[in-house]
Amino acid sequence: MDGPIPADGPLLMEAAALDPLLDALRGAGYRVIGPTVADRAIVLAELGSAADLPFGWGVSLEPGGYRIRRRDDSAAFGHSAGPQSWKQFLHPPREKVWSARRTAGGFEVEAADEHAPRLAFFGVRPCDLRAIEIQDQVLGRGEHAGSRYAARRAGVFIVAVNCTEPGATCFCASMSTGPQAGPGYDLALTEMAGAGTHRFLIDVGSPAGADLLAGLPVRRADDATAGSARSAVAGAADRMGRSMPADILHDLMAGSAGAARWDDVASRCLTCGNCTMACPTCFCTTVEDTTDLSGDHAERWQLWDSCFDLDFSHLHAGPVRSSPRSRYRQWLTHKLGTWHDQFGSSGCVGCGRCIVWCPVGIDLTEEVAALQAEAGQAGNSPGAAPQAQTGGEPS
Amino acid sequence: MNDAVPASALADHAFLRGMPADDVTRLARAAVAVRLPAGRRLFDEGAPASKCWLLTAGHVALDLHMPGRANLIVETLGRGDVIGFSWLSPPHEWQFGAEVVESAEAFELDGATVMVLCDRHPELGYQLALRLLAAAVQRLQATRIRLLDLYAVPSHDAGAR
Amino acid sequence: MSLQAVPAREATRYRAAETHDTVTLGLEPVDDPIAPHRPGQFAMLYVFGSGEVPISISGEPGGPGLVYTIRSVGAVTRALCEAGPGELIGVRGPYGTEWGVTDAAGQDLVVVAGGIGLAPLRPALLAALAARERYRRVTVLIGTRTPDDLVFAGELETWREHGADVRVTVDRAAAGWRGHVGVVTQLIDRVDVDPAATLALVCGPEVMMRLTARSLGARGVAADRIRVSLERNMRCGIAECGHCQLGPLLLCRDGPVISYRRAAALLTVKEL
Repeated sequence: MDGPIPADGPLLMEAAALDPLLDALRGAGYRVIGPTVADRAIVLAELGSAADLPFGWGVSLEPGGYRIRRRDDSAAFGHSAGPQSWKQFLHPPREKVWSARRTAGGFEVEAADEHAPRLAFFGVRPCDLRAIEIQDQVLGRGEHAGSRYAARRAGVFIVAVNCTEPGATCFCASMSTGPQAGPGYDLALTEMAGAGTHRFLIDVGSPAGADLLAGLPVRRADDATAGSARSAVAGAADRMGRSMPADILHDLMAGSAGAARWDDVASRCLTCGNCTMACPTCFCTTVEDTTDLSGDHAERWQLWDSCFDLDFSHLHAGPVRSSPRSRYRQWLTHKLGTWHDQFGSSGCVGCGRCIVWCPVGIDLTEEVAALQAEAGQAGNSPGAAPQAQTGGEPS
Repeated sequence: MNDAVPASALADHAFLRGMPADDVTRLARAAVAVRLPAGRRLFDEGAPASKCWLLTAGHVALDLHMPGRANLIVETLGRGDVIGFSWLSPPHEWQFGAEVVESAEAFELDGATVMVLCDRHPELGYQLALRLLAAAVQRLQATRIRLLDLYAVPSHDAGAR
Repeated sequence: MSLQAVPAREATRYRAAETHDTVTLGLEPVDDPIAPHRPGQFAMLYVFGSGEVPISISGEPGGPGLVYTIRSVGAVTRALCEAGPGELIGVRGPYGTEWGVTDAAGQDLVVVAGGIGLAPLRPALLAALAARERYRRVTVLIGTRTPDDLVFAGELETWREHGADVRVTVDRAAAGWRGHVGVVTQLIDRVDVDPAATLALVCGPEVMMRLTARSLGARGVAADRIRVSLERNMRCGIAECGHCQLGPLLLCRDGPVISYRRAAALLTVKEL
């Protein structure tokens, strides 16, 4: 590296420099989480070295289908819609909230320790970056600014990866969440893995990002390379296999309570809740109060929960949302509609995980198109006719 | 003290709202204004039923006699309500008792006179029948709600799923 | 400043049995007291090792939420109803929206309560009676199951002395009951109400609130001058767990007190 990091403009780094980059992150005190191949899927795990990355691995995606496959190139980030999202680290599936113990006078309560390790997220797709921002709004800002989520979130270093190749089930472009990463990253990479070359364009997004690159073999990117990377990302936006009419979703959902389509999807939906587990923005939790056998020590745990669970809406004599129809309707109208009313944005980032990981292959873009058509026939469509679904390219 | 009732006073009663003026005038011929002191038994279960009352003030309780217990109130009626349906059809006997619980004022209608007026003026009969039906339906709906026992502790309804 | 997630402890100062299954607990703070509550708000009450339930604060506003009226319907509420003197209870709150009783200033105030629904309304009523001259007519209509199920029975006369027209009706009379018998909506038809200048506060089972709002509407009271207190499954109380959603509303944050204009459409959708 000659001299200080250039103040503006993208940088260029060879793939061989990935290990020094990961070392720099660990040296700065972070535990680095990134994609790895395990259990015949691309899963997020701690990276010991760059070799842990899934070089040359891609995925075949379809509604209700996910297979990893060998790519023609050695790209490390040529995959999407993995079974997990980054929410498992910021909003853990199981978490102790506080504990209490019996005393002579009654009981004492102690908040659970927050030993938040400093995490670096390596390889955050633009859709997932937006999902993190959405969960920040729900769980970490305003009245929640002092929450455990906020404490975990504050220390996270984010290396985003722009997309040049949409997954077959992706629709980030129509949800305005990709394929270019929005603000919120410390560094954003664009991978260029071709014949004989493997390099990354780097955009610096924060002072912390700039500091990390100090001492690493990066140089200013030439215009041709930078331009090529940019158009690869822009081109991805035109090759999405699915889209959603984002502008009209809130009103479409608001008017859909009595739609016949819900019966149709209910005949397929198993209410298994996979979609809520895989979705990077679903945040619902339940609390569990437990005691040990002596009865002297109690704990309150917070666990992921799903609106598909019958117990979720339990009130007095039974669940408010008893039928599968009402539970699927709740999930979709919340995700695409009332999320706006509650949190000021859509809850959907277009990652397509719910389509892939639904065991019966329910595709919410199809459901939305059907609801839109039904509303149109009833003469109260809030928007234009549904857009045609074009064939997608497998990633 | 019983006074004749001017049609205009009768027309103000909620039960007769919207009734054509001619019919109200005819009905007034069957009506007297009465004051009912608290504690007065308006009628007793089993007695011949020949009148009905349009309450304008106070409260009247319908009750049932229970052996070994004081009369049990089944419904309280107040301003705007009509009391007494049993005069309409055989056996023309009161099915419940009625006691004035808070000193009341009402228009008392003589059943026989009303029936003669209705025979002569079917239009009046139709108007009255509609309103009596509406009052009965309202009581039925209220009774159904009471049967739901809404304030009870809810228990899991096995048929809910 | 974040919403508290760890309960503050309060000790039971007194326990008053209202009915065979309902108890009013008066608590005093052991840890730092929670913030003063406004009428209509609720708190999450914790019983050691048993769990938490949302309970409306039923005491006078102005001080920390220390008075709760609890009906025994499950394990946690049963434990609360059996709390002995000095027993510690965990409290998180106060949460939720308020009745806004001062919006009735210069107007008629009508309070309609069904069963235990009188408890969340009591703070609003006490606030109004403490400033009685601000309101025209103050009418309290109470529907309850039987005379034995009437809560705060010993206070009704005091409320009347402070200028409230209090009427009680039961669904089913017991021997010796000489009061009203019938559904609470029948009382609405018999009170004097100036529909153009009335604020109605309604709390009770959801069916009762719907029918009451309808009756009030039939008397000409506008939907946005009727407020109801809604209930859904609650776990966190701090708008983080997603359970208490009713359409676009998170009831722990946007409720429980909601204008009937907003609530009406939501309450008629089955399984919303």
